[in-house]
Amino acid sequence: MRFDLSVLVPHLGFLASGAMLTAAVCGLALVGSVVLGMAVAIARTSSGGWARRAAYAYVDLFRNVPFIVQLFFFYYGLPEIGIYIDAFTTGVIALSIAGGAYASDAIRAGILAIDNGILEAAEVSGLSKRVTFTRIVLPIALRTSVRPLGSVLINMILTSSILSTITLNELTGQAKIVASDTFRPFEVYFVLLVVYAALTYLVSIGIALLHRRLNRDLMGQVS
Amino acid sequence: MLNVENVRKTFGAVTVLDGVNLTVKPGEVVSVLGSSGSGKSTLIRCINGLERLDGGRITVDGFDVSRPKELAEARKRSGTVFQLFNLYPHMTALRNITLAPIEVLKRPKAEAEAEGRALLASVGLEDRADAYPAQLSGGQRQRVGICRALAMKPSYLLLDEVTSALDPEMTAEVLNILAKLAGNGTTMVFVTHEIEFARQISDRIVFLEKGVLLVDLPTRDFFAQDGGLAQPRVAQFLSKMRKD
Ligand SMILES: Nc1ncnc2c1ncn2[C@@H]1O[C@H](COP(=O)(O)OP(=O)(O)OP(=O)(O)O)[C@@H](O)[C@H]1O
Ligand SMILES: [Mg+2]
Repeated sequence: MRFDLSVLVPHLGFLASGAMLTAAVCGLALVGSVVLGMAVAIARTSSGGWARRAAYAYVDLFRNVPFIVQLFFFYYGLPEIGIYIDAFTTGVIALSIAGGAYASDAIRAGILAIDNGILEAAEVSGLSKRVTFTRIVLPIALRTSVRPLGSVLINMILTSSILSTITLNELTGQAKIVASDTFRPFEVYFVLLVVYAALTYLVSIGIALLHRRLNRDLMGQVS
Repeated sequence: MLNVENVRKTFGAVTVLDGVNLTVKPGEVVSVLGSSGSGKSTLIRCINGLERLDGGRITVDGFDVSRPKELAEARKRSGTVFQLFNLYPHMTALRNITLAPIEVLKRPKAEAEAEGRALLASVGLEDRADAYPAQLSGGQRQRVGICRALAMKPSYLLLDEVTSALDPEMTAEVLNILAKLAGNGTTMVFVTHEIEFARQISDRIVFLEKGVLLVDLPTRDFFAQDGGLAQPRVAQFLSKMRKD
């Protein structure tokens, strides 16, 4: 058998539509998991009560269950009790929930790393807890957690390939179809390898740039 | 008036402040001396409400720092400058200064910024308003720290070893500003190891030893043979400081 990528040319548009779907799902799930991660991180660093326990339970649960099991539960399990969600929405929700558990770790670490002296300065100047949190704690935590959040996103892109198992034809799903249509799995999956690698590489470059931008004051330090 | 009455503070089994009394009147500069671990920082942290008292009472212009309802008013009347600056790293110098006036005193943004710029100019940093803390030298950061405290127009400025993280040149920058403030009638509680400087600017000097306020005297008396120096611990402390 000859390695011939040209057989894929007629299918490029089809594959590209899968890639777009992957990007859309991951983009939405990124927003979902950062928002969720932020809420959970707040609960986990709060001084106690049921919110803190619930947050810990959530993180422990979703980090310790395979993603495919979570996904099947949402997509094939929930309809049994009358809850029907379409594949796209299920994908976004499942990735957000799974990603949120990891994002909360990154954001929580960012919150805990904040120098206590900074918080004391805010406290003695009379800033309320709420203002201290929104204006000082969260911005500092987010800018230190840009890189770990980037890893969460990259992981999410990789994990999103599993969504093909619930009939969502994102990049991997489309590739499977092309492979079976053309009987050229070697070429198809070779391209898939390259595309995923390129996608995550681009994302990591974007994250590095964002990190630099958010931490631009730390570049070219005087002391 | 800033009133510290019979204040006790313990950490576990250790008594860090043991019946401390101190009164600071408007316009006074009171320096707090004492060896390491004598409780100077703890005293400042009790006054600004960062530590809970285990006994006694502290009032700032009548507002009791131990009463949750009065703490906010007490805090509005004191401003703290920290040894390690504690600037907000993600905000520019100007924003560091204007945040609390806008959020706590509800000052209009434009006014707060104009005042912030004027404060920066008064410490020679008019061209650094948009710099982030990491882009400033230690001395510049501490000058911003002083502006941040002054922006709240506090009746009492609390300073805890504000130059001890700085090299001599930067220390001089900051001390010059403090001397100017003292000359303007700013009321200060000044924890320091800069004995000579304390002597120049202070109206009174108090000496803490193992949590006990051993001496509280007008500056001239503190350094007199029959005054503070008559206390062996003070004499010992001063001669040791002079050697270093
Ligand atoms: N949070 C704390 N927990 C336990 N012990 C503490 C705490 N803060 C201070 N101490 C202890 O209280 C004593 C007084 O500390 P403090 O920081 O007030 O001294 P200081 O006079 O400011 O010393 P220095 O000149 O070194 O700054 C020290 O023995 C210190 O170890
Ligand atoms: Mg100290």
